[in-house]
Amino acid sequence: MALSTEDLKLAIIEKATKSPKPQLYIKDFYKCDPDSKPRVIKNVANELVREGELMFWSSGSTTMYARPDRIKNEETREDAEEHKDD
Amino acid sequence: MAKRDTPLLDELEKGPWPSFVTDLKRQAEKKPECWDILGQLELSYHDRITHWKHGGIVGVFGYGGGIVGRYSDLPKEFPGVAHFHTIRVNQPSSKFYNTAKLRALCDLWEKHGSGMTNFHGSTGDLILLGTTTDHLEPLFYELTHELHQDLGGSGSNLRSPACCIGKARCEWSCFDTQAACHGLTMHYQDELHRPAFPYKFKFKFSGCPNDCVAALARSDFAVIGTWKDDIRIDQAAVQSYIKGEFPSNGGAHSGRDWGPFDIQKEVIGLCPTECMWMEGDELKIDTSECTRCMHCINVMPRALRPGVETGATVNVGAKAPILEGAQFATLTIPFIKVDPESEFEELIEQIEKIWDWWMEIGKNRERVGETIQRVGLPTFMKIMELEPIPQMVREPRSNPYIFWQEDEVPGGFERDVREFRKKHAQ
Ligand code: SF4
Ligand code: SF4
Repeated sequence: MALSTEDLKLAIIEKATKSPKPQLYIKDFYKCDPDSKPRVIKNVANELVREGELMFWSSGSTTMYARPDRIKNEETREDAEEHKDD
Repeated sequence: MAKRDTPLLDELEKGPWPSFVTDLKRQAEKKPECWDILGQLELSYHDRITHWKHGGIVGVFGYGGGIVGRYSDLPKEFPGVAHFHTIRVNQPSSKFYNTAKLRALCDLWEKHGSGMTNFHGSTGDLILLGTTTDHLEPLFYELTHELHQDLGGSGSNLRSPACCIGKARCEWSCFDTQAACHGLTMHYQDELHRPAFPYKFKFKFSGCPNDCVAALARSDFAVIGTWKDDIRIDQAAVQSYIKGEFPSNGGAHSGRDWGPFDIQKEVIGLCPTECMWMEGDELKIDTSECTRCMHCINVMPRALRPGVETGATVNVGAKAPILEGAQFATLTIPFIKVDPESEFEELIEQIEKIWDWWMEIGKNRERVGETIQRVGLPTFMKIMELEPIPQMVREPRSNPYIFWQEDEVPGGFERDVREFRKKHAQ
């Protein structure tokens, strides 16, 4: 059975806190609950951004999620350099 | 910020065309940071490598797109462009705006940014180039509350939908491209402003197969107007073209004498499916063979018009060359109604079928066209619940095997081993 919204939020926060990479793709959160539809997970991740638990990191062409305390501004990543299209 | 010497860039001012270098120098009188754009670019020309970095956590509250963080990788040398973020403003459908709106946008950008713009970006957005993080929220507030415009898409979002000029000015438009573009922009506000997908996703709408927004080459979901019934023919006007009373192509080629108009050579002989002919003085078209290429209509617009049973073709999966090479979209739905009355539910149903599948199956940073390539078109057609048509066959088969699905085989793949062994020794 799919997790409740609250449990899904906790699972996403845990994943974003413990994963070795600070920035995660939305797909990385799908594993938090294989029974929840991708769209449900996307909506919950975006709600966590509104609540300040996650923030967006964008290369311009792709967008990732991170815990605010795990990321510093002006950070650039190698794969952002690879993808200089719009 | 000091004036910079730019001997390499100065070369670009010498040609016959207006130069962005001249524009930047003029703008630098008001906005001295423009000297640092020029200085950094001069250095890039010298080093043959960019000195821009991009990406970061800049944005406005609640939005996960529309602003792209940009930074100089030489902030000490070029402090004016140390932070130089790009803003994407969602363009009005068909890029209709009046000069008052343009002035207001430019004034807003002089106030909050470098004043440098790029009209339009490849997704269609109005691009405002260069500001600092502290200006983002005030700019966003004024843009939305005073100019009543919104940010466009970026990152793994739905990108700003774009459309041709459509029924506003063009008699060939087979559906209302502006209504569709605006309708879906409003319907998908969440997907436009917040990341939802493995990678970017673009809609584009062209009213006829002339495809003036190049939807076929540039969008994941290209909606291109078409018609089902016969091309409407005004035989008297056909004769006027033949007699040279009307200029061909609406006079577009009139700068040179091409000789008298020859309907056989210029229209019938160039029809890609050879489905046109003259019967005495009458032009005939075999509609069942016409591919709606628009050639004959473009040449003789006063004599030929698209039919009246109109809708659109949906083509899926175009992209620019990033991971794999560039590719055109593949014809997926030959005919679909595009109806503002139903709030475009026919399109929405197809879009969401693709999204639900691609969000699950698509790899990170894989465009839907690449996902289709990876899994194969037959699998994609099953997802779309569509029967394949001959136009989807790229080449004659070279694989001698035929793979049946279980539901295509009487009795399925299950078998009783004991029954089998009665007839076949081990
Ligand atoms: S795509 Fe067709 S309908 Fe749209 S502006 Fe071009 S010619 Fe007209
Ligand atoms: S639209 Fe193209 S294919 Fe159709 S009749 Fe005209 S030239 Fe031929």
